[in-house]
Amino acid sequence: MSKRVPEEQYKKTFSFRFHQWLNGTKDPYLDTVELRPQEEPKQTDEDLEQEAKQRIIREERAYNLEHNAQARLFSKLYRYFAVIMCISLALVLLTGVSYLPKFGLMEHPTNNEVPARYIEQGLQETGAINIVTGMILDYRAFDTLGESHVLFIATCTVLILLRVDKKKERESESNNDRVYEPKNDVILQTVAKYLVPFIEIFGIYVILGGHLGPGGGFSGGAICGAGLILYLNAFGFAKTEKFFTGKTYKAMCFGALACYSLAKTYSFFTGANHLHSVIPLGTPGAILSSGLILILDICVGLVVAGTMYTFYVMFRKGDY
Amino acid sequence: MQLFMNIMLGFLLVCAIAVSLSKNLLNSILIYMSFSLVMSIIWILLESPDLAITEAAVGAGVTSVLFIITLKKIHAIIKTDKEEEDDE
Amino acid sequence: MEIIEWIRMLLGGALLLIGVVFFLVEMIGVFRFKYVLNRMHAAAMGDTLGIGCSLLGLIFISGWNWTSLKLLLVIVVLWFSSPASSHLIARLEVTTDENPKEHYTEKMIGASADCAEEKEEK
Repeated sequence: MSKRVPEEQYKKTFSFRFHQWLNGTKDPYLDTVELRPQEEPKQTDEDLEQEAKQRIIREERAYNLEHNAQARLFSKLYRYFAVIMCISLALVLLTGVSYLPKFGLMEHPTNNEVPARYIEQGLQETGAINIVTGMILDYRAFDTLGESHVLFIATCTVLILLRVDKKKERESESNNDRVYEPKNDVILQTVAKYLVPFIEIFGIYVILGGHLGPGGGFSGGAICGAGLILYLNAFGFAKTEKFFTGKTYKAMCFGALACYSLAKTYSFFTGANHLHSVIPLGTPGAILSSGLILILDICVGLVVAGTMYTFYVMFRKGDY
Repeated sequence: MQLFMNIMLGFLLVCAIAVSLSKNLLNSILIYMSFSLVMSIIWILLESPDLAITEAAVGAGVTSVLFIITLKKIHAIIKTDKEEEDDE
Repeated sequence: MEIIEWIRMLLGGALLLIGVVFFLVEMIGVFRFKYVLNRMHAAAMGDTLGIGCSLLGLIFISGWNWTSLKLLLVIVVLWFSSPASSHLIARLEVTTDENPKEHYTEKMIGASADCAEEKEEK
């Protein structure tokens, strides 16, 4: 049973003061901390000159090897110590490697029941002919989900670091950047016109054929992104922004990642072992087979292709 | 095949050392590109074509392009002075 | 029938050898020449002719199957992309060269030369 506290008593409690501070009605440091407006540093030209002179003198003292015994010693010993450090590190690593069991031996500790099960029952359980894809997108799809998110986070970081806000800066930067570059190069445009569709088709083939042969979302997405970069280089930003802008990228990436996460969460909720998967496995060898793997491959491919292209655009222009 | 593999591994070592020893940053990137290509060949020899495709597309293609743009952004591609006859 | 096999193998081997020789010439050229455009001239030869000969030899050796088609596609893609990239590098070098008079003399050929002459006359 709660008790009503009288208002005067409540005003003394911590929570009242906290709420006051939270709402901004009262500053708890108003009378306790002394606040003064910061004084503008008064600097005349002479002061600045003197400072510059002193800085030059200091730097000369620091970097002039003749007067700095420590720097002399450092520059002499640095190379030797670097070499010794490298060699000792290499020795440590090589001795560590020499204790490892040989590659491909029967007695290898990684050769236990896990790969045996993957090899024996992978085709039945995942429906993928390519066991590697079956492993990374079915048994260990959680890792791949993390990888896709890492890519997305990397793009976000690049966005934060390289984003150029002001319009003027952007224009001057882009002008500076592309002064010496061949613009509207006929040969490059012709080559790109004929080559880019084939590159994209090959990338899509690699994505879609991930469960049938070598390939998969990551490599196919990288190929698609490279094709987009070639197109961008040949025809400039005006043409690519007709179909691929920052909004497209965000929508695509978000959609793909959400689809991946939902699909994978669903399978985790149903026992994490595909016991009750709705999507049928299909006949192994057909394109529409192996259950979730095809969808996940497409998702990963979309994310990777968009990320590669976005990296390039961000580095080049700083903005979409 | 073992001989070919050894040659490739030796090339890999030479590339790895040359990347760190080269003074010109652009040269380092080009050597790194060749490192990735050789690495993808080695992946094929080790019978993992998935990795080979990824290595060739990401390592040799996209990464080096990004490196080169970065060098351009920070104005690191400059002529090495007094070497007029050859420059990348 | 066996004679055709022999001829095929010999042709493939000869083409491979020619390709390897072109690669050797390319390498010597890249190391011996001093200027970028000269080096690219040497490198482009190996990129197109050397690789074309080698892959053609491989096609002859492998025979009439899907592998040959893929090799043919590799040749087509390489012959598309390698000259284009060489052209880009050459164009960049020409536009950013600081003292072009030491390296080459400019000569205009064909229609563009006529245009330039007309401009000069005006």
